[in-house]
Amino acid sequence: MSAEILEERRLSIQRKGGGCGGDGMRCDAASVAGAVSQRACVYCGARVVLNPITDAFHIVHGPIGCASYTWDIRGSLTSGSELFRNSFSTDLQEKDIVFGGAVKLTAAIDEVMQQYAPKLIFVYATCIVGVIGDDVEAVCRDAEKKYGIRVIAVKAPGFSGTKSTGYRMACNALMQLLTPHADQPKAVGVNILGDYNLAGEMWIIKNYLRDMGIPVVATFTGDASYDTLIKAPTAQLNIVQCAGSMMYLAHRMEDAFGIPWMKASFFGVEDTSTALRQVAEHLHDSQAKERAEAIIAKRAPVAEEFLQRYKAHFIGKKAAIFVGGGFKAISLIRQFNEMGIETVVVGTQTGKEEDYEIISSLVNPGTIILDDANPAELETFMKEKGADILVGGVKERPLAYKLGIAFCDHNHERKHALGGFEGVENFTREVNLSLNSPVWQQVRTGASYHLRAQAPAKQVPRLLGHRSKRVGA
Amino acid sequence: MGANLVNLNANPCKMCMPMGAVSAFYGIGMSMSILHGSQGCSTYIRRHMATHYNEPVDIASASLTEEGTVFGGAKNLMKGLENLLSLYHPKVIGIATTCLAETIGEDIDGIIRDFQEKHPDVTATFIPVSSPGYGGSQYEGFFRALHAIVRYVPMDTQSHEMINVITGHLSAADTRALKSLLDASGLDYVLLPDLSQNLDGIHSENYKRLPQHGTPLERISRMAGARMTLELAPLCPEEYSPGAYLRDTYGVPLLRLNLPVGLEDTDMFIATLESLGAIIPASVFEERGRHVDAMIDAHKYNAQCRAAIFGEPDITLGLTRACCENGVVPVVVATGSRCPALKESLGVTVAQAAEVQFCDGFDILDFADFTAIENALLARGANLMIGNSDGRRIEEHHHVPLLRYGFPIHDRVGGQRTRVLLYDGSLSLMESTANAMLQKTEETFREELHGKYYFLTEEAGKASSHGLEKAASVVSGGTMPEETSVPLSAAERTRTHPCFSCGACATSARLHLPVAPECNLSCNYCVRKYSCPNESRPGVTTAVLNPEQALERFLAVRQDMPNLTVVGIAGPGDSLANAEMTFRTLERIRQEDDNITFCMSTNGLALPEYVADMKRVGVSHATVTINAVDPVIGSQIYRYADYRGHRYHGETAAALLLANQLAGLRALTQAGIICKVNTVLLKGINEEHIPTVVATVRDLGAEMTNIMQLIPVKGSAFEHMPLVSNKELTDMRKRCEPTLKQMYHCHQCRADAVGLLNDDRSIEYRLPEITPIAAQEKSAPIARRIRIAVASKTGVTVDQHFGQADQFYIYESNGHDASFVETRSVSRYCKGMDDCGSKSGRMEGILCAVEDCAGVLALRIGDSPLHKLQKKGIRVFTQYERVEKAVNDAAKALCG
Repeated sequence: MSAEILEERRLSIQRKGGGCGGDGMRCDAASVAGAVSQRACVYCGARVVLNPITDAFHIVHGPIGCASYTWDIRGSLTSGSELFRNSFSTDLQEKDIVFGGAVKLTAAIDEVMQQYAPKLIFVYATCIVGVIGDDVEAVCRDAEKKYGIRVIAVKAPGFSGTKSTGYRMACNALMQLLTPHADQPKAVGVNILGDYNLAGEMWIIKNYLRDMGIPVVATFTGDASYDTLIKAPTAQLNIVQCAGSMMYLAHRMEDAFGIPWMKASFFGVEDTSTALRQVAEHLHDSQAKERAEAIIAKRAPVAEEFLQRYKAHFIGKKAAIFVGGGFKAISLIRQFNEMGIETVVVGTQTGKEEDYEIISSLVNPGTIILDDANPAELETFMKEKGADILVGGVKERPLAYKLGIAFCDHNHERKHALGGFEGVENFTREVNLSLNSPVWQQVRTGASYHLRAQAPAKQVPRLLGHRSKRVGA
Repeated sequence: MGANLVNLNANPCKMCMPMGAVSAFYGIGMSMSILHGSQGCSTYIRRHMATHYNEPVDIASASLTEEGTVFGGAKNLMKGLENLLSLYHPKVIGIATTCLAETIGEDIDGIIRDFQEKHPDVTATFIPVSSPGYGGSQYEGFFRALHAIVRYVPMDTQSHEMINVITGHLSAADTRALKSLLDASGLDYVLLPDLSQNLDGIHSENYKRLPQHGTPLERISRMAGARMTLELAPLCPEEYSPGAYLRDTYGVPLLRLNLPVGLEDTDMFIATLESLGAIIPASVFEERGRHVDAMIDAHKYNAQCRAAIFGEPDITLGLTRACCENGVVPVVVATGSRCPALKESLGVTVAQAAEVQFCDGFDILDFADFTAIENALLARGANLMIGNSDGRRIEEHHHVPLLRYGFPIHDRVGGQRTRVLLYDGSLSLMESTANAMLQKTEETFREELHGKYYFLTEEAGKASSHGLEKAASVVSGGTMPEETSVPLSAAERTRTHPCFSCGACATSARLHLPVAPECNLSCNYCVRKYSCPNESRPGVTTAVLNPEQALERFLAVRQDMPNLTVVGIAGPGDSLANAEMTFRTLERIRQEDDNITFCMSTNGLALPEYVADMKRVGVSHATVTINAVDPVIGSQIYRYADYRGHRYHGETAAALLLANQLAGLRALTQAGIICKVNTVLLKGINEEHIPTVVATVRDLGAEMTNIMQLIPVKGSAFEHMPLVSNKELTDMRKRCEPTLKQMYHCHQCRADAVGLLNDDRSIEYRLPEITPIAAQEKSAPIARRIRIAVASKTGVTVDQHFGQADQFYIYESNGHDASFVETRSVSRYCKGMDDCGSKSGRMEGILCAVEDCAGVLALRIGDSPLHKLQKKGIRVFTQYERVEKAVNDAAKALCG
């Protein structure tokens, strides 16, 4: 491997060999200091999971930064309240650090209750809250007693683990919300877990289920509200999409409420079709199965045809993938396979060992597999493997562009739905519009200008003089 | 949002100190930053910066863990430094602390000492910055970093001729502008920091992970010996002012100036440079002159502007002063940082600006969140925001436009290239504010003034609108006409109107004058054609006439047809979307003939504002096409409506149209104008809804409704819509008959129709056709003679519906000379509504009659006979044309 790779990182990078590697991938561990990890923190993990709950009041307890950088940056859509699109912070100041921030937090909750009277408040405890000794849980308990609403503390100091730890903290907060509502009569219907309704994707899935005659009880947490969430314990089945963030909740709900779960991916024709069939099968609902087949028969060929039309543009192209979770990376590799694009580099921020096993089985020998990669590694391997397009998040986009590589946004800020049959067309279109843009032609043919941009100005007249002489002769 | 909260920042108008610190380090040559804190801080800041700059932003993190938090993070920071050195090889390393490191009390200087002892070979300069998130905002963080840089970089105190120029967080493009001025002025200078390139790089073949530009360390070390420091950050507290440090430590004189935004402050900056010996190029003063000229051009529009300005303190100060200079009133000035000095610096200036325009008050806020800004700007009636893209949510909710300046700009590209500094930057700022006002005025003044001054009045003729005053004065000699004298009663006119009276349709002729080409409504069943002699349907004309040509045609037709009773304006677009042409035409004709009946048809979108004009010129009959009285249904029929400069789509368009149709219809009937309502029967869209339409228009005073078949026009959205049979149409008319009188004799005629309803003679009045000579020569005769059947009433023009033909004229043609063979009588396929009985028998007869022909010519044809003919290999041409030309054209087409 190249000298650009840090020694401590070598165990988190694999090149798929011809046979069986045997060595496990180092993953699910803390980031290496100074390596410039692309990961965020525990708070980030918790916030992304809970923030789409539309009518909850999300209070970030800490100094301003954490609230400032997470204000309405994600594409979760709502059909109800817009409250979640605001960002509230206790904006702790020097004196709060010295004397403690609990008083300010209590006063803030009082104010919120007077002004807005929400049914549900989440209080995110960020890095320094524990260090300065604020008992956030006690403040929340007191507020619950005082106002008779739910005020739930989310323990999310950034240093207390990885982003995955944050997912777990969010799931714990959700269980805290659900547990008092465990003893309700069972209803007909399912919960959707791990769908944040980015660009309306959850609505797309909900429409399929409606056409199959399957009611949706609660959604975690895209377009969710307090009143729908508390019905979740009545559902017959949990459909888990973003497994990285929500498998833990699915397990806990199985233990607490006896709700079975299934994993489902709605990315790509194959995955979407399989998911619809499996939902019906898990519910032992033959009518739903028939309806699922009808949906697939109607939608899949259209999406396939669309894909076929674009395929001609993708011949010989190679992709790099760097996304948050393992499940998403797996879906993407399969989708690229459907498109005739080879995946040559694939990495995730928070993939698990079993994810990497699957990834390894899906890709060709020589493919680079990375956990918690940094820009230097992405640069090195994308160049080495000759990737034509990178699928990733906002931070990776400028790197791809600087290297002259196309880019497809597959992050929480995107404004195009990538799920379901609708998503197949959008994804294909997104890939094509960057991959085959004429700008890359300019980039590749501009080498001589690159040198002139760096050359001292005085060389220019000489060049001009030379040319005019030739014209004269 | 709701009220301002005291204990909670609701939507921050600031970021944290480490963000500012790392931004400053991006202006230092070959430098790399590491945040001593948990992983998220660096990632969030990187994301925030990358989205603004569209550049890779690499910031390392010590990635503190639970263990580091409890036992100290020295190990993590040491490891982090080693790793970033081996990956990036920087010459300068900025180590910025975070909330966490400061709270657990990390000794950064000590850790650096340990590191240097452990790695004696490392030559990089370490610059620690204390930047706890709770200690201030990104503004303070930026200056704390600069302050640390001048403190930690080893200084060369030997004095020299250079000056120091220190700035806050500027855009890359503004920094470049500043540099090129300084370069041109001949002054030697050190710019701290230099943000011109590292976050606005050029594309190059070899991407360098470590930013290569920015102020080099060697230059910074000369700052202690400079002859003067110019610090363009008037609101930076002395405590972190790098200029103050250089003054106090090395005796470098410090001059603090406003940022050169706007005329006055740029003048001040230029004058200062000149006093230091700069030679300012003439082009700069030329720019100044242009700025003054442009500010005069824009001043009236800027005076309408009530701005809310927000951002970091220095740039907010600069923007506000520049705005005041141009007559903009900054009704809200805000920064998220703690900065009481902002109010002190701006109070008098803003008060003066407000006083000129009699603005009641203004707010200058520091430590403000966006909820406070939002509440203040709503209370103060701001009509423009100037600031970073975090104002976009206010823009979205309250439709106050946002001019994006400052950091961050997340929802547009090019945030790093916004310009406000110096004369040219100020000019673009000042024109942007003026243009925002102009745009707003352009978009709203028609609607606004209409809402303000226009009222539907009973006294018709009182309100004359939209450029018609001039035309009116020609007629009336400058006075508003009381009411044009109408010698015939409305009832009498109805009796002689072929469309309004079935009895008149065989005796009275009408003339449609195609003077109205434009349309303001996009109907899914319509495609307008301005030069089409063939099709016979609404929306089609051979040519568009101007009012003079229209008058000529009227006079010619009147001479030829003594039975002419009605002049109508029916398109080919909408009569009222071309109001000036329509009314001028009618006025000219009225001057020649005060007896002829005037009739107009319209979609009704613009109707309310023209009823008075219609009454004034003497329109007695009108047809309004109303296809639905429910916007949801309407939205399936109309693509968009253009109304007072706006294009509306979907249900909005349909609702707007409906409101105007209903108000207009009522106003028409109240003004005594006889109204017919046309409705196109659209299967699957409005068939069940039509009785409601009929009942609604009856209540508004309509005289009759005309329910029509859809003509599936090629190229229209409804091209493939299922057709309505005569029987279905008749059934619908019968169903509505009890509600309101129905029209059974409509011919859905052209916009330039002439004569009786069932005998269109428009062909005789066409404008001379210009045929290209080349085209005439090219058409060689075709050897074979092709047999063609023609549906025609008279044998002169193709003017009959296939299904209504009594006989066919059989022609033969080689493409050049058509010859008549015979006429063949057939039993009529379908005579009309009442005897469609044995359809198949008639069909057989017709098919037999034309079986030996290669083509059939007809005015129109139903879907089912069309398919049957096509099955037999017979091609059908539908058009309105002279028989011989049509036969020849068809023969040519059939021979390819």
